[in-house]
Amino acid sequence: MDDTTPPPPAAPASPPPAPPHTGSPTDFLKGVVGKRVVVRLTSGVDYRGVLSCLDGYMNIALEQTEEHVNGAVTNRYGDAFIRGNNVLYISAAEPI
Amino acid sequence: MDPSAGIQEPFDLIRLSLSERVFVKLRGDRELTGILHAYDGHMNLILSDVEEKIMIVDAPEGAPPGHGAVSIVKRKMEMLFVRGDGVILVSPPSRT
Repeated sequence: MDDTTPPPPAAPASPPPAPPHTGSPTDFLKGVVGKRVVVRLTSGVDYRGVLSCLDGYMNIALEQTEEHVNGAVTNRYGDAFIRGNNVLYISAAEPI
Repeated sequence: MDPSAGIQEPFDLIRLSLSERVFVKLRGDRELTGILHAYDGHMNLILSDVEEKIMIVDAPEGAPPGHGAVSIVKRKMEMLFVRGDGVILVSPPSRT
């Protein structure tokens, strides 16, 4: 009579299974340091490389950098400093 | 040795390039190479023994974009102050 094991309530929708990518823009930027990224400038030029670091102005240091214009590689740099005011976006080019 | 060792912020890349020949990409399709003597937080630069390359697209009237003839003008300067807001990218000599 004393069945003490009630079936678990229908799985509540609440405990969110930690969606893979949430957080602030800052969290994103912290997450992509050391990863391959695409940096697009407002001019439309893309820089693909490994993000070594960035600062509050969004100045960026990249390693193994390739410059892409209209999809074609136009230059390669071992290291590159990109002044932050030119940056349109930073895109992760590999899983964070 | 890891070339990124000792780089915590993007300006470290520039600091490590003092007294070295650097490549600078500027707004207005201009590129510089020169020996870096000084810089500041605006990326104002002092360069010596500078060569400037100016890419001039001489598109005929009504030509589709990207179909003009590109001519390159070079000039040399002994000592140059570069205002930081014109800087797009600075690349140190490769330390590979």
